[in-house]
Amino acid sequence: MAQAGAAMAGAAFGAFSPLRGQTAADVKLEIAPLDLEIAPRKIIHTVAYNGRVPGPLIRWPEGKPITIDVVNRTEIPEIVHAHGLWIPSEVDGAAEEGSPMIAPGAQFRYTFTPRPAGFRWYHTHAFAGRNLKRGTYSGQFGCFYIEAKSDAGAYDQEIFLTLHDWNAYMGASGDSSMEAAYEYGTVDGRMLGFGDPIKVREGQRVLLHLLNASASLIHWLGLAGHEMTVMAMDGNPVPTAGKMRAVRLAPAERIDALVTMNQPGVWILGETREALRKAGMGIVVEYENQQGKPRWIEPPETFWDYQPFAMAQAPSREPDQIIPLRFESKFHGQGAFDSWTINGKSYPDTDAIPLREGQRYRLQMINRSTDDHPLHLHRHTFEVTKLKGAPVSGLRKDVVVVPANETVEVDFTADKPGATLFHCHNQTHMDFGFMTLFRYA
Amino acid sequence: MVRNAVRAISFALSGVCLLSAGRALAQDNYEIQVYPSETMTPKTLLVELHSNFTVEGSTTTQFGMLATQHQEHETVEFTYGLSDWAEVGFYVFTAEKSGMGVQWVGDHIRPRVRVPPRWRWPVGVSLSTEFGYARAAFANPTWSWQIMPIVDQTIGRWYWSVNGTMVWDVHVVPAPADSTAQEKQFYYTNIAPKGVTFGPAATVTYAPSKFFNFGVEYYSYYGQWGNFVSLHYQQHQVFPVVNLFVSPKWEINFGAGWGATASTDHLIVKCIIGRYFDFSHHHAGSSESTQ
Repeated sequence: MAQAGAAMAGAAFGAFSPLRGQTAADVKLEIAPLDLEIAPRKIIHTVAYNGRVPGPLIRWPEGKPITIDVVNRTEIPEIVHAHGLWIPSEVDGAAEEGSPMIAPGAQFRYTFTPRPAGFRWYHTHAFAGRNLKRGTYSGQFGCFYIEAKSDAGAYDQEIFLTLHDWNAYMGASGDSSMEAAYEYGTVDGRMLGFGDPIKVREGQRVLLHLLNASASLIHWLGLAGHEMTVMAMDGNPVPTAGKMRAVRLAPAERIDALVTMNQPGVWILGETREALRKAGMGIVVEYENQQGKPRWIEPPETFWDYQPFAMAQAPSREPDQIIPLRFESKFHGQGAFDSWTINGKSYPDTDAIPLREGQRYRLQMINRSTDDHPLHLHRHTFEVTKLKGAPVSGLRKDVVVVPANETVEVDFTADKPGATLFHCHNQTHMDFGFMTLFRYA
Repeated sequence: MVRNAVRAISFALSGVCLLSAGRALAQDNYEIQVYPSETMTPKTLLVELHSNFTVEGSTTTQFGMLATQHQEHETVEFTYGLSDWAEVGFYVFTAEKSGMGVQWVGDHIRPRVRVPPRWRWPVGVSLSTEFGYARAAFANPTWSWQIMPIVDQTIGRWYWSVNGTMVWDVHVVPAPADSTAQEKQFYYTNIAPKGVTFGPAATVTYAPSKFFNFGVEYYSYYGQWGNFVSLHYQQHQVFPVVNLFVSPKWEINFGAGWGATASTDHLIVKCIIGRYFDFSHHHAGSSESTQ
């Protein structure tokens, strides 16, 4: 297995030790400040795991218990969220669910059994607010791959790639409200042209594990001259694999895409939008024995739609209860971030939504704002059941984009007791109220 | 955005003048707007129609310039975004009045650059320059070159902007041939000064919602830089305004302005309707769109 920009996490890390009476952890994460050189003389002052961006790849067999020791060497409380995993609230890594914050200088051990199999990730779940260097604006993220027992591995090379945006500032959006804008973009912590290229051979089938770890930006990626076959979304195989010239990833979304390397040359795998590619969002793909300046070929203008990857029929089981969730913003001026409400209330002034174990729920997400929102449900996987008014099924995710002024419906079964957080994965939206809790009765 | 693209030019009369009117007046209220520092989105065209009606202005022709009272000015402004820090604008000025028909007044071109937002200055800063011609019957000078530094800031619901308009009168209409030396001195001092003149504009607005804001705009003309004309010949005008943002594609501005000096038109009503056109040829939300 060859990997670009990812490393195994079990390597010895001498910065801290297990607490008294504990055995050595399987994975050790140290949260500490880092000066990240994304390009020559372009230094980002951030916070990261184990002195690198992205953090170490955690690759672990499904169903095998894991211990992760985390030490916080920053000056603010931190927390590590295991995104997309079915694990207890106490170790899910969200303070709102009851996971403990890790005080400055303190150490915490997360112990759980990773599942389900597939491409997950981990990241800070700390509050950023108006500080656009904290939370997911920082370099605290990494890939978490849970290996299926039955993965045949129909590919020759596997590559994990993480997208991130840096040096956020408040910028104007199209609707008079403020949103975060960014100075630089990177793939695996390096600007386009300044990282190690991805080395491939003609005829290889390369499986790309793509993660958008941006705090707020949706990204489009294309590999010049190649098609990508979308095999999985958010780590879950899609019912209908589809070929795309460009793929869209909202914050926290993952795509597994298979690429057949059949165009020898030196190419750019990058943002389809020129301004973002010039800001650094891209990486070079270099065929064996090929040299020269990396080439970019504009893919045809592409629209993203989940529907082709799902089954065009209603799910086989009807929900026991429909939960309408209406998203709206409150304007606080053209020089301030909006605050956000779910059913008219901003977190933490919300009422927890009760769940009964074993029941199947339909979240009817009604977006009455002018922004697209990536909605994330913790500790569960949901099935997308309605898009643009049409029933669909089979597409399982943990993040779904609800477009502006549209309604998206997802179903999930309440089978993982414990507090469960639901929020927009735009860090600013989340920090300014776009969250609510589900509580099992 | 408030723009004062054509600086106010006063045509003053006094006891020493041969002409009969009794007060000074402004003549060139074609485009009454204060600029923000923000430039147009790249590959986006904004077409604005500026409609200004002088309810109470000058009533006689002075120094060859037509009376402003009940004159309707229609200005079409095109602004195109070149990059995230540069734009270029172009104006077509017209005037209408009963018995006069629609008259072409002139054209200006206006490149503008700004400090890119990624520099994260505490205030927005841009620099506009404008060059163009206007017919002598409607404006003096006829050829002018303007430089305007712009500083603005948004603080919560509040927004302010200051435009430091400076105009070099490239070609002024000569004083009437039969003027006396004293009258010529008066004319070139107070009416059509040579060199650089100064006329700052400013606005403060408050936004109760993302769909509209209201506030005041201020326009002025102080005369020659370093040698301002007396208050009588200065122009000071205050407009209460409302800005509507009814859709991402449209912007609307209403205002009514009161002149505070004898040289200023006493009441002008203005309306600006702007429509954005995206020439990136991309659809919102696509792989090529930044919207």
